Amino acid sequence: MKRLFLAGFTVLLVVLAFYPMGGTGYGVRTMLQLFMWIALAQSWNLISGLTGYVSFGHVAFFGMGAYTTAILVTKLGWPWLAACLAGGVTAMALALVIGWPCLRLKGPYFAIAMLGLNEVLRVIVSYYEGLTGGGSGLSMPTLHASVPIYYAMGLVALLVTALAYVIVTSRFGLRLMTIREDEVAAESMGIDTFRYKLYAFLLSAVAPGIVGGLAARDQGYIEPMSVFPLITTITMIVMVLFGGKGTIWGPVLGAVLLFTFQEIVWARFIYLHQLIFGGIIIAVVLLMPRGILGVLQQKYNLPRTI
Amino acid sequence: MAPILEVVGVVKRFGGVTAVNNVTLSLDAGRIYGLIGPNGSGKTTLFNCITGVDRADEGQIRFKGQRIEGLKPHQIFHRGIGRTFQVIRVFPELTALENLLVVTTNDYPAALARAKELLAFVKLEGLAGEFAGNLSYGQQKLVEFVRVLMTDPELILLDESAAGVNRTLLNELLDAVRVLRDRGKTVLLVEHDMKVVMGLCETVFVLDHGEKLAEGPPGVIQTDERVIEAYFGR
Repeated sequence: MKRLFLAGFTVLLVVLAFYPMGGTGYGVRTMLQLFMWIALAQSWNLISGLTGYVSFGHVAFFGMGAYTTAILVTKLGWPWLAACLAGGVTAMALALVIGWPCLRLKGPYFAIAMLGLNEVLRVIVSYYEGLTGGGSGLSMPTLHASVPIYYAMGLVALLVTALAYVIVTSRFGLRLMTIREDEVAAESMGIDTFRYKLYAFLLSAVAPGIVGGLAARDQGYIEPMSVFPLITTITMIVMVLFGGKGTIWGPVLGAVLLFTFQEIVWARFIYLHQLIFGGIIIAVVLLMPRGILGVLQQKYNLPRTI
Repeated sequence: MAPILEVVGVVKRFGGVTAVNNVTLSLDAGRIYGLIGPNGSGKTTLFNCITGVDRADEGQIRFKGQRIEGLKPHQIFHRGIGRTFQVIRVFPELTALENLLVVTTNDYPAALARAKELLAFVKLEGLAGEFAGNLSYGQQKLVEFVRVLMTDPELILLDESAAGVNRTLLNELLDAVRVLRDRGKTVLLVEHDMKVVMGLCETVFVLDHGEKLAEGPPGVIQTDERVIEAYFGR
C-alpha cells in the first residue's frame, strides 16, 4: 500500500514536472493556482489544524509577501525570485510581531486579533502611498514567467506538505495537538504551549508570504483589495476542513477537490458559484466536521501519516 | 531533613470567594499525604496554586527550598512536580501511547520504552494505539496517572485518581503509589474514599471552607470532632 502510494506519487510529480512543456498557457496558470491553494491550505493547517488556534487573517501573510515582492521589484529592482523569498521572511517577521502578544491569549481572542490584523494591514497599505501606491496599487514590469513561477509554486506546495509530514509524525507535532486537545493539561505536562504555538505560527506564515509574492509577480499588478481579501482566508479554512484538519494530506485533498470544483462551477454558473460554495461549507460543518480524511482516519483507525 | 514542599500562608480568591484561606502545610520527602475536605473546600484550588495553574494571591510556595509561586505550570512540572486532574484531562485524539510520549523531551527510543513500560504497568499495553478518548473512564484515569510518571517527578499530586477505577485496578494503583513512596517520591493525594486515605496516607490534611482545619495521622483525624462536623454537620 505504502509502496503503491509512493510509486503513484512519484509518477504524479514527474507528470507535473513535465506538464508545462506540453500544457497550454491557461493550463499552466490554472495548475499554478492549484499549487498556491495547496500551499495556503497546508500552511493554515500547521497553526489552526494542529493547535486549534483558528487564524481568521492568514491572508495577511499572503498580502505581506505580495507587497514585499512588489516593492522590492519596482523600487529596488530585485529579481522576482529573491523578492518572493524576502516576502516569506517579512511574513514570518509579521507573524512574530503579531504572534508574540496574541498567542498568549487563549481561545477565540486570537481568531479575532488575526481578523483585525488583516484589516489593519489593508488600511496601512492604502495609506502609505509613497511606498505602496495606495489604493491605486503597484504595477510591476511585464514578465512572461508563468512556467518558472509554476515550478516555484509547485516546489513551495511540495515543501510545505513535506514540512507537514515531518511535523505531524514527530513529537513536536503531537505536542502541537495537545494544545488543541487540552491546553491546560498540556501546560501542566511540561509543554511550553506559548513557545510551541509561536513556532507553529512562524512556520505557517512563511509559505503564504512566498506564494503571495509569486502570485503578485505572476499577475503583475496588486492593490490592497486584491491581496487582503477575507475570502482567501475562508477558502483556506474550508479546504482544510473539507479535506481533514490536522492530517497531512487533508489540506492537499481539500485544495484539489474544491479548486477543481470551483473552476468547473465558476466557468458554468458565474452567479450560482458562491451559493454552491456556501452550501459546501454548511454541509461539511454539519455532516463531517472532521473532513474526508478525518472521518476515514477515525473509522478505519488509519495512521497519522495519511 | 528540609521539607520538599512548603506552602506558607497561601491565599487564593476568586472575586468575593476566598477559595484557599491562609493555608500552611509542609511535606517531607518519601511520604504519602492525604488532602481531604468537603466539596468546595479548596483542595483542587490548592493543587492549582502549587502547580501554577492558578496564581496564589498571597503566601509562598517553596519546592526543595526554592520559591515556585509565579512560575508557569510547565516550568513547575520540569522542576519535578507532576499532577493529575480531578476531571479527566487526557488528550482524547492522541493515542494512549502518544499521550505519554508528548510529556518528555528525552530521546525518542528512551521515551518509547518508558511509555510502553508504564502502559504495561497499568495493563493497557493492548490499547496503546487506541485514541485516549475511546477508552473507558477508568482506563483514562490510569493513562493520566502513568502520564505523570513519564518524567519521574519527585512530588506527585493526585486529584481523585482512584475515583471510578474498579477494585482490582484500584489496588494496583495504590500499590503503585506505595512503590513510588518506597523509591523516595512524595505523594499528595486528594481522595474522597476514606478507606483509601486511611490505608495509604501517613499524614492527612483537612480543608474546610478554604482553611486548614486539622492535620495528623489518619487514625487521629478520623476521630477529630471538627472534622466529623465539617463532613457530617453538627
